[in-house]
Amino acid sequence: MDWLSELLRRLWMLTRRRRFDADLEEEMRLHVELRQQDQIQAGVTPQDARYAASRRFGNTTLLMEKSHMAWGWEWLESFLQDTAYGGRAMLRSPALTIVALLSLALGIGANTAIFGLLDAVMLRTLPVKDPAQLILLGKGNASGITDDFARTQLYSYPFYRQMQGENQVFSDTAAIFSMTNGVHGYVGGRTESEPMNVQLVSGTYFSTLGVRTVVGRTLNDADDNSEGDHPVAVISYAWWKRSLARDPNVLNRTLKLGATTYNIVGVAPPEFFGTKVGEAPDMWVPLSMVKAVPPNFGGYKDNFSESLLIMGRLKPGVSIDEASSNVNLLFRQILLGFPDAKLSQENLQKLNKTKVPLTPMATGLSSLRRQFSEPLQILMAVVALVLLIACANIANLLLARSTARSRELAVRQALGARRTRIIRQLLTESLLLALVGGVFGVALASVANRLLLRMVSGGLDPIPLDVSIDTRLLLFTLAVTFATALIFGAVPAFRATRLQLTDTLKAGRSPQGASGKNALAKALVISQVALSLVLMVGAGLFLRSLVNLNNVDTGFNKENVLRLNIDSSSAGYTAGEPRDLALFQQIEERVSALPNVKAASFSAFTFHEGTWDSGVVVPGMKIDEHIDVNHNVVGTGYLATMQIPLLAGRNFSPSDTSTSQRIVIISEHTAKTLFPRDNPIGRHYNLGPDNKPEDDVTVIGVVKDVKLDDLAEEPVNLDYMPYTQRPWDFGDFEVRYTGDFAPVAAAVQRTVHSIDRNLPITRVTTLDEQVARSFTDQRVVAQLSAFFGLLAVFLSCIGIYGVMSYVVTRRTNEIGIRMALGAGRPKMLWMVLREILILVSIGVVIGVPVTLAGDRVVSNMLFGLKPTDPVTLVSATVILLIVAAIAGYLPARRASLVDPMVALRYE
Amino acid sequence: MHRDEIPPGTLYLLILKTLARVGEMHGYEIADSIQRISDDVLQVEEGSLYPALQRMLIKGWVKAKWGTTAGNRRARYYQLTALGRKQLETELSQFERVIAAITRVIQTA
Repeated sequence: MDWLSELLRRLWMLTRRRRFDADLEEEMRLHVELRQQDQIQAGVTPQDARYAASRRFGNTTLLMEKSHMAWGWEWLESFLQDTAYGGRAMLRSPALTIVALLSLALGIGANTAIFGLLDAVMLRTLPVKDPAQLILLGKGNASGITDDFARTQLYSYPFYRQMQGENQVFSDTAAIFSMTNGVHGYVGGRTESEPMNVQLVSGTYFSTLGVRTVVGRTLNDADDNSEGDHPVAVISYAWWKRSLARDPNVLNRTLKLGATTYNIVGVAPPEFFGTKVGEAPDMWVPLSMVKAVPPNFGGYKDNFSESLLIMGRLKPGVSIDEASSNVNLLFRQILLGFPDAKLSQENLQKLNKTKVPLTPMATGLSSLRRQFSEPLQILMAVVALVLLIACANIANLLLARSTARSRELAVRQALGARRTRIIRQLLTESLLLALVGGVFGVALASVANRLLLRMVSGGLDPIPLDVSIDTRLLLFTLAVTFATALIFGAVPAFRATRLQLTDTLKAGRSPQGASGKNALAKALVISQVALSLVLMVGAGLFLRSLVNLNNVDTGFNKENVLRLNIDSSSAGYTAGEPRDLALFQQIEERVSALPNVKAASFSAFTFHEGTWDSGVVVPGMKIDEHIDVNHNVVGTGYLATMQIPLLAGRNFSPSDTSTSQRIVIISEHTAKTLFPRDNPIGRHYNLGPDNKPEDDVTVIGVVKDVKLDDLAEEPVNLDYMPYTQRPWDFGDFEVRYTGDFAPVAAAVQRTVHSIDRNLPITRVTTLDEQVARSFTDQRVVAQLSAFFGLLAVFLSCIGIYGVMSYVVTRRTNEIGIRMALGAGRPKMLWMVLREILILVSIGVVIGVPVTLAGDRVVSNMLFGLKPTDPVTLVSATVILLIVAAIAGYLPARRASLVDPMVALRYE
Repeated sequence: MHRDEIPPGTLYLLILKTLARVGEMHGYEIADSIQRISDDVLQVEEGSLYPALQRMLIKGWVKAKWGTTAGNRRARYYQLTALGRKQLETELSQFERVIAAITRVIQTA
């Protein structure tokens, strides 16, 4: 333990610094005096004796310092000294400090906030046991139900069971229903329904993930081994807190979802949000209950009702390649083994070509990630550039200040301070600046994070993502802060200490050093301008894309339409029952009769809500051949509500009932695909893959094409069927209104509740907003990049202003001489402005190729224009020039107001 | 009078040995003693004694306490610790090994 007692002695010394220094000094003085006495006794004169003693002793100051260093605290002492000194220096030039801190806080804050979101969406691993061992079958980017043969994205429950039983590569296998059921359920004993997001999972879900409950038990395989008789639920910690006020007696509480009452058997741990990033179910229910949980999807025993995601935990030592070959072997075997497999030529060919891709799911599943990974990366690059510009700015300010301090630094160097010591001091000052800026930045980020999440959520409830500041984020910020300090502090520090000592000391200002510094400052300004141009053009491109997206013709009139969701299945209605149809018709009639309402209709979908599609068969087509068509199931008033123009034939009418001929209205594009040569009216086709007679429909009308899921999409095949003939559990209800939104929205909800007060109504908004939500990612990027683009330009202006002010001050006497020789004030003004314009032009010349190269990366995010869009490029350049000229005008004017007499006297 | 610089690294050894011989000394006495015993051949730059003593204090080889000199002045007296004695042995044997080796090299010629 020698080192320990040594450390203790060192610490002791640190606390008794002053005492120790005094002791040492006394000791040394005694030594010299004793030596002097010795000499005097030997007969030397007192004067000489003192000199000799001092000579023999050596340089007292140096020896003191050496002894001091022996204790090993000098780094700390000099750091503290530098910090205190830096603090004083910051206070001494408050304007510089405020500008620097502000730009640092914005720069570091923006980086922290964006990284926080990026981390939450893309990088963070699931809070489960060994997430790296988790593998997903397929790519995880599909959700819904399909009966398509040999799909690799979604699987049926019987398929999952066979895969679970027969594979040799997974220690555990689990299935997740690919959709979350948005249910309006009742907590046992309550009469008001509340929204609950239910995630159906296999009984093995929690054991596969290695997640334990904090109260009660998890689901187990037995909960999932026979259909319909395991009404149990594990609830999320957040929901336990929110809805049950953390009731410790939670295991005796029940839930009613649809017609079934469920026992709560456990509470998941607080950090566990499921397996989909950006979605946080309130509860998990075994898949055996799939038909009981509204909207009652079913398909538990159906070999080809494919709606599940399957994940497995790799056995130790099994590679992903081994897993892949085993899974693909079983994929074929299981599908071919199903007795009801339709082994047509086409399907067999498809099976032969299909390979199940395996995807690591350490970071979980996320549709959010697909939508936002590119925008977030772009934004990360944008804020990094902004921070770089801020760094250039601060470097410039520090350079200017170090010129003002050059005398001080020269004196210190002349007195023997080592250059490294001074550089260290200047860097410490920079670090201090950066750290204070970083602290402000983190404070800013904690607010910006929530704002960002709201923007990303696109006006709905905030996406459940944890974007709070955690250790990981703080480490990132700390790293950024240190990097920042190095970037903006290093060059000025090295510059400032490279002095012509004598020149500096003599005149207080040295022409040579200054011109070198000028060049450096100008280079910094040029790079700022170049970077600003990149950001400005980027922002311009995104903003124009946004405008283009807003102006896309959707095919329907998105203005003045109210839309809301009515969850009839949670209120006990079943699709297709007469009671259900009557409810829909009654709501449509009563709402249509309201004042300020022109039309109202239910529909399966409107825009950007997913779709139901199937391969339809037109008589005369070859066997096995089909054309993919999207279907919408709507009320009689749908076309009127959406104002989709009818091009030929007739609209639906109340006489189209469940017993009349099955009819359909098709879109223009569908007409061209299905009936390229003939008039489509009166023609018929079959919806099925199975060609069942009840799936045969007759075309009664053709309407204009509409956008279905995405504003950028090409026209798709789409048909409309009346809900009287095709049962559907409706979500969507649309109302075309005039006047103000709020009173109409209130009146519509009142009317619905007057018909059945238990009908849950959600997502009351306008169609316009719903359309806008489909390009939330573009909007977020456009708004933020515009903000940061402006910030970049603003920072660059500060840079230009600072440098030019400095240049003007340095050249006061030159200007004075020129004016004395007869140059007019306008000429002086122009002289300075010209210099600014030259700087900015060089910046633009460098910036343009960089911009063109950089913007190609973002072409995916653009809509309706190319990354090389000349209008954007030119306008960004012009704006930059104008703004730079404004920033430079003040120093230029100052130059023109120089009084030659004063200027020359200065010399 | 010709004075030789002491070989580098032997300053600790000299201080340790001197203290071991006498017991308790202050800085000036140590310097003086080294010079006298070496017949003024070994010349310590006297000041450099103090950084060395500081390091030895940290290492725990010596301990110090304040006392008064014969001339009634306050002085800091240094004393070997057990650790210091052990260090002295180490340094001595190391020194002897080196000297023996050097001697062998010189005599072989």
